[in-house]
Amino acid sequence: MKQDPFQKPYLLAAEGLNKSFDGFKAINDLNFYLDEGELRTVIGPNGAGKTTFLDIITGRTQPDTGTLVWDADHDLLKLNEYEIYRHGIGRKFQTPTVYGDHTVMENLILSMAGPRSIWHSLFGKILDPQKERLAEILETIKLSTHAYRKAGELAHGQKQWLEIGMLLAQEARLLLVDEPAAGMTDEETYRTGELLLSLAGKHTIVVIEHDMEFVRQISQGRKVTVLHHGHVLCEGPVDKVQSDERVLEVYLGRKSKAA
Amino acid sequence: MVSPTITRNILWVSCVIALLFCANKISAQEESVKKKIAAIIALGEGDEQTEAVLALKKTPSPEIVGWLEKWKQGVIYIYEAPDGTIIPVIMGDKIEGTRKTAISRFSDDSPVLDESGEQVGVGKYDLDMADTNSKLRRAMSEVESLASLADPDPEERIKAIVKSAIGQRQDKLPALLELQKIETESKVKRALEESIALINLRSDDADKRLAAAELLGKRGSLAAFDILKTIAKESKESGDKKMEEAALLGVKRIEAHISRINAVGTLFRGVSSGSVLLVVAIGLAITFGLMGIINMAHGEFIAVGAYTAYMVQNIFGTGIKLSPFGQSITIPGFGFGEFGMSLYFAVAIPLSFIVAALVGLLLERSVIQFLYRRPLESLLATWGVSLVMQQLFRLIFGPNNVQVSSPVWLSGNWTVNDVVFGWNRLFVIGFAILIIVATWLVLNKTSLGLLIRSVMQNRNMAACMGVRTERVNMMTFAFGCGLAGLAGAFLSQISNVGPSLGQNYIVDAFMTVVVGGVGNILGTVVSALGIGMADQGLQQYLGNPVIGKILVLALIILFLQWRPQGLFVTRSRSLD
Amino acid sequence: MTKAPAASKIQMPLLIVMAVFLVIVMPLLNVTGHIEDFTLNVWGKYLCYAIMAVSIDLLWGYTGLLCLGQALFFTLGGYMMGMHLMLMIGKLGSYNSDLPDFLVFLGHKKLPAFWEPFYSFPFAALMVFLVPGLLALIFGFLAFRSRIKGVYFSILTQALTYAAALLFFRNELLMGGNNGFTDFRTLLGANLREPSTQRVLYIVTAVLLVAVIAGCKWLTASRFGLIQRAIRDSENRVLFSGYATANFKLFIFVICAMIAAMAGALYVPQVGIINPGEMTTERSLEAVVWVALGGRGTLVGPVVGAVGVNALKSWATRAYPDMWLLILGGAFVLVVMFMPKGIVGIPGQIRDWMAKSKNRRENKKESDVPESEGEINES
Repeated sequence: MKQDPFQKPYLLAAEGLNKSFDGFKAINDLNFYLDEGELRTVIGPNGAGKTTFLDIITGRTQPDTGTLVWDADHDLLKLNEYEIYRHGIGRKFQTPTVYGDHTVMENLILSMAGPRSIWHSLFGKILDPQKERLAEILETIKLSTHAYRKAGELAHGQKQWLEIGMLLAQEARLLLVDEPAAGMTDEETYRTGELLLSLAGKHTIVVIEHDMEFVRQISQGRKVTVLHHGHVLCEGPVDKVQSDERVLEVYLGRKSKAA
Repeated sequence: MVSPTITRNILWVSCVIALLFCANKISAQEESVKKKIAAIIALGEGDEQTEAVLALKKTPSPEIVGWLEKWKQGVIYIYEAPDGTIIPVIMGDKIEGTRKTAISRFSDDSPVLDESGEQVGVGKYDLDMADTNSKLRRAMSEVESLASLADPDPEERIKAIVKSAIGQRQDKLPALLELQKIETESKVKRALEESIALINLRSDDADKRLAAAELLGKRGSLAAFDILKTIAKESKESGDKKMEEAALLGVKRIEAHISRINAVGTLFRGVSSGSVLLVVAIGLAITFGLMGIINMAHGEFIAVGAYTAYMVQNIFGTGIKLSPFGQSITIPGFGFGEFGMSLYFAVAIPLSFIVAALVGLLLERSVIQFLYRRPLESLLATWGVSLVMQQLFRLIFGPNNVQVSSPVWLSGNWTVNDVVFGWNRLFVIGFAILIIVATWLVLNKTSLGLLIRSVMQNRNMAACMGVRTERVNMMTFAFGCGLAGLAGAFLSQISNVGPSLGQNYIVDAFMTVVVGGVGNILGTVVSALGIGMADQGLQQYLGNPVIGKILVLALIILFLQWRPQGLFVTRSRSLD
Repeated sequence: MTKAPAASKIQMPLLIVMAVFLVIVMPLLNVTGHIEDFTLNVWGKYLCYAIMAVSIDLLWGYTGLLCLGQALFFTLGGYMMGMHLMLMIGKLGSYNSDLPDFLVFLGHKKLPAFWEPFYSFPFAALMVFLVPGLLALIFGFLAFRSRIKGVYFSILTQALTYAAALLFFRNELLMGGNNGFTDFRTLLGANLREPSTQRVLYIVTAVLLVAVIAGCKWLTASRFGLIQRAIRDSENRVLFSGYATANFKLFIFVICAMIAAMAGALYVPQVGIINPGEMTTERSLEAVVWVALGGRGTLVGPVVGAVGVNALKSWATRAYPDMWLLILGGAFVLVVMFMPKGIVGIPGQIRDWMAKSKNRRENKKESDVPESEGEINES
């Protein structure tokens, strides 16, 4: 997996990451490379380290060892949460995490790209193009009619969408999307897939998901990464991955145990 | 008219009774001392008598001093019986109806009777005093100085020995040397050596002086510290190089000893004030640490415990009159007297736990149960509760401090190698150990403890497993409050009991738990000892308790910079 | 920018009525003799408390930082003003010395160097803001940098206040020890014992209260206000929205310390005494009670709470001295448990409650989906 010198540099390159919690190895010698503009799906059984990996990327957790390079020359491990965010890495959490007491519009305003200083928060004005952009996002996430409702009052699926909308408002280069379909109806799940597909190309996206139907919908022959015990088990298109023996063993073994 | 025989018989019987009584009171040794001295007096003035006095040195005992003093004061008289025997006697009361005075034998206080059994009466100037001359008096004081050092109680003996070295008078030396020959107790021997060396510092013999300085330095004798300093100065002036060096070396050694004593003393005081913190904070470590309830009324639960001890004390004693809300209530006491006072604390300890736990139960049911997962609200609500409780204390027990007596032995000391260990501080440490062990046992060895730990680790999971989490919450909170009550009973023994008792400890208690790491009992133990030690250390170093305390608080804030989660981190993966 | 929430719709007119009444009507009634000098003076005190209450609300109600040290900042501000007032006594003190009485009593012959500049009123006024502000800056920097929050923050501010009170009780600090400062005479040449001076002080206090509220209104309506409330509700999420929350918290913490200090500086000449007894955590918590009772997260609430509770207090401590603390404590417990938004929040609470029960009937089944990493679906 060495980098081709003539190729565009990776957007995100993780090498040799390790992290253990009280002896439990959540991440084990993890190598992960992401090109700009990719839509990558990460799957893996429970405890495979998917969420911990996102935690490391976004600065919530410090790995024990390893490197994490952003855009060829930024060491993400040296940065804290908000500095990482300012590099254009946005995250949608596993459980919808929106500001419940704020309106939908306020949630988007808080996430809107732009300076993050105290001064600007006090005296900065929202410009017309920004307003248009917010309206556009509201349209995209189908919450135009709910713009002034409190986010806490939204339905579960709507909160998920709002959170994706917040990533859009942020104009993030990399969207880290943790289980967007969890707790959604089939129809909502499908629409979420469509939304993510429409964003592909404009943004680089990493989706963590369990729902294989959803994974098939969004991967469409793109690369899928399988994590197991905090380590990359295999990578490739979804069909190839699903017929991979190691993957089958991991899942079937698990299944038989569960049964 | 009563016949003389009957009178004689009565006298006889009463004598026997008196003797029995005396035998009860006076030890055989004492009696023999008196007899010996009586015999010596009977010898009459002369060399023989002086020799006999000096012979008393062989059996030194402090009583000798008293009796010899009597002799010197001239209250012992010589009575020559009709048969010619000489009896040393003491003047008694006037015999009724006569102008004569009754006399009794010095040796055993028995009345001197004539042949017919009647009291012998003497005129005021009929008898001669037992005389002394200068030679005899010198012999006496020689015996006395030795005898006064010879109290049968070794502690008293040590006191006398140490005292005799004050002023370093050479004339005290012989007695000490004498005693050294017969002394067997090792502690007393050490004291003797020290005192002899102290006196020898002023000896005319240069070698003795040097040896004394050497010994005192090695012993780290506190008494010799200033004297050696003076001697070093004097020797410098007089040009006695050798002596100066020896004295300075001694001073240096003693200084090292003193700093060791101070270090051990500070350590000890640190452990004991850490123990107070620990006792006060352990309940909080349960309610705050394990349950996440910020109980600002924790201090008032401590006060509940203290007032319980107060009530128990009064009920064991003479009862108590209270006037809550203008109603006068009199609670009668058992009137157990001294015996009850020595026992009440044993009853107060479990009761204070139970009472505080019950009040805690009440608080949990009425307020706390609505505020789980809302720590800030629990902080505020319990502060309201603490206001109410403090005011209730004032209304029931009055606004002033109440008297809770503590056993006399708590004010004693225990000295080991010059380090003073106060009994009250030892009590504090012992109590803390007891509470920690008890808490550990409850948490780790009982089914309640298992339930508590399971609910605190994962409330939902425990609920799914069929644990009645509400009940466990209730019990846990009550347990924490009960521990606060225990702390109160304990504090009632070492500090004032008043309505704002708890307020004095609440900040310290919270600090202890925060520094220790919330949710970790071991952390609380370590942090309590650490804070106690830092507090005492700074106090010793700065010589100012308040500035020390302020510095400790500042240190805690800085410490939390380094470890925001406290000493022992309880890790969790959940968001927030 | 956003639609005003229902609560502030009532608040705005209420605020204006309150402002007019406090700033104009009260002093006028005093001039005409309908309100006694004493009453106006007492109200001046209440309004100082109200300013402090607003600062607590700005921290607690809006940012989620329950600071138990506001009484410390309040008292520090008071002390700074008190130092100036002490020097203004001049030779009128009981020892007829240029030095403040307590310094003479402690045997000082010369004014300590740090007292010297306090002869100047502008310097003292500057210190009123600077000293508490600096303390808040240092403490806040340390606390927020290490991400101390929630109850830990409360407990630490409690400890800070406790330590400061211990310090101010010491005579060695040369700040009057136990007794603090008292026996003030003049401020800017005006006799503090004249009713007209007190009236001016009252008006200044009322105007500053209105100004503080207006400032807070603007602050909380700005995007800063959005961030403040977001920090209150979910600080971690705000970090993941790219805001350096520590800086925002530090900023508001320092601002609030200064507001409380200003209130303290106004309080001292009106009440005529300042001592370390004002500096305790209990005083802070009492002020928190005003905010909780009045309604946190609103701007009217703290004012209503501070004035209401203190008016009740001065009545009850005379009428039922034994019962006062029972009433206060009991009321506080009930409010915390059942009225999280206080008196001002009652209408909203009723509305919410009605809406909720309606909602519950409508979509009973749409509750939060349990979070779990569901099993992989292989189709």
